[in-house]
Amino acid sequence: MSDRHRNPAAWIAAILVPVLFVCVVALQGRIDSSRGTLEKQGDELLVQSGPLLKRLSLGYDALLGDIYWTRAVQYYGAKLPTSDRDFHLLAPLLDVATTLDPYLVPAYHFGAFFLSEKQGGADRPDLAVDLVKKGIAANPNNSQISADLGFLYYMKLKDYDKAAAAYLATSKIPGASQVFKILAARIASKGGALDTSRMIWSEVYETTKDEKIKKHALEELKGLKAQSDEMQLDQLAQEYHTRFARYPQSTRDLVEAAMMKGVPLDPDGFPYVFGADGKSQLDPKSTVTIDPGAPTPK
Amino acid sequence: MSAIPGVVAVNTFREAVRDRVLYNLVFFALLMIGAAILVGQISIGIDSLVIVNLGLSAISAFGLVMAIFIGVGLIYKEMEKRTLYSLLAKPIRRWQFIVGKYAGLLLTLFVNTCFMTIGVGAALFYVNRSFARSDVYILVAVYFILLKLAIVTALALFFSCFSTPMLSTLFTIGIYLAGIFSTDFLNVGMVTQNPAVKAITRVLYYVLPNFHNFDIIGQASHGFAIPPQLILQNTLYALLYSAILLIAAAAVFSGRNLK
Repeated sequence: MSDRHRNPAAWIAAILVPVLFVCVVALQGRIDSSRGTLEKQGDELLVQSGPLLKRLSLGYDALLGDIYWTRAVQYYGAKLPTSDRDFHLLAPLLDVATTLDPYLVPAYHFGAFFLSEKQGGADRPDLAVDLVKKGIAANPNNSQISADLGFLYYMKLKDYDKAAAAYLATSKIPGASQVFKILAARIASKGGALDTSRMIWSEVYETTKDEKIKKHALEELKGLKAQSDEMQLDQLAQEYHTRFARYPQSTRDLVEAAMMKGVPLDPDGFPYVFGADGKSQLDPKSTVTIDPGAPTPK
Repeated sequence: MSAIPGVVAVNTFREAVRDRVLYNLVFFALLMIGAAILVGQISIGIDSLVIVNLGLSAISAFGLVMAIFIGVGLIYKEMEKRTLYSLLAKPIRRWQFIVGKYAGLLLTLFVNTCFMTIGVGAALFYVNRSFARSDVYILVAVYFILLKLAIVTALALFFSCFSTPMLSTLFTIGIYLAGIFSTDFLNVGMVTQNPAVKAITRVLYYVLPNFHNFDIIGQASHGFAIPPQLILQNTLYALLYSAILLIAAAAVFSGRNLK
């Protein structure tokens, strides 16, 4: 006879343990819903001092830095699909992560993106600049972080002098692409020109390894192309008005007036439309978006 | 040189294997597999970084737990089981017994660490599909962890020569923590105006084992070069410190009345 047949306690345990576990699972569900409101209130970072955490990490600061960076990604990612745009813990999380591991380049690079984005981020380019400057101080030979500073000054803060200086500094880093030297010169001479913006976004598109940023860069490039097209169409619409004393109804009018060889399409493949004031616009069905804060064409 | 410490060392290693000490490798393997698969899903840009940081931290933490908890029981267990008396009745000196026990635990830690390092390498290869030249610094970091464990083992063995396992554990952990913060002792001394405090903190800085010396996990994970002179200096430091502790342990154990 087996042990179980001889030992009734084994039978009782075999039945009771799974039953009690089911009870535990059910109870945990209740506890979770009871704690729901408490957890929401407790959405705070208890220790915001990176140096203190570094001391308390007992030599495992690099691993703790990875954990804090992952926490920052989770914090950002959890809010993205919601309407909640309160990212007040993002900057402290990134600061702690980069204090624990000052060489954590992804935290500076992607963290600056999370902080500076207007729609899908904290809309705090000033904090992004602080983060990137901290990254440059810790990693003076990293061209990616240095270029991020130029990007933030150019795209987010429209401070073209500082953007040119940042790109020039990037170009001097050993092994950095020569594109940065050209960018620095262009920004210094032309400020916020569309061509320069296109160059910067192309550089981002070519160099980033993150799919989300790559997709974003592609959308920006499409928007810049549309913005450039609209600029030319507006000019042609004015010429059309001079010749025919009315604005064109569609781009086909410009083709029929022999002012264009073919109907231009936006990056989504839709023809542009004209408003009553003669200003060209994207077709409502087009998914292309033009950043209202994009550099003013010169 | 007598072969007795070697025999004791091999037996200590066998005993550790019999006690299923190396079972921790299963947990380590699961940790590495989990990290390799999960990190890419929940974080950005640190897939291989986490493998190295987590792997090296786990090697260090598992090693420390083994060095402390096995180290403090090395002598006590032999006394409790009364096997020490039959051993010492043979032509074996007490210092040889101490050295043998120390070498045996170090061998156990070395084998354990080697398997874990292979695990880290496998996980890293799974994530990156190749090895970089700078990955060699991960091996340097592993070597530094072993040096740290050599000192911790000697500490645990030293305390176990005159104290109970519970107290020896507390003493070893206490000295280990103090050794991590030894640089802070020096900093406290620098900001104080009191010459006595200044002197005490300075003495503490040099007398306590400086475990911060061996902490290069962060640098290794980023592929930063480790200067060869640091490798040499840390090796000498660990050798010297372990020798001091072993000599002290042998002296205490030799003078101990075992009746």
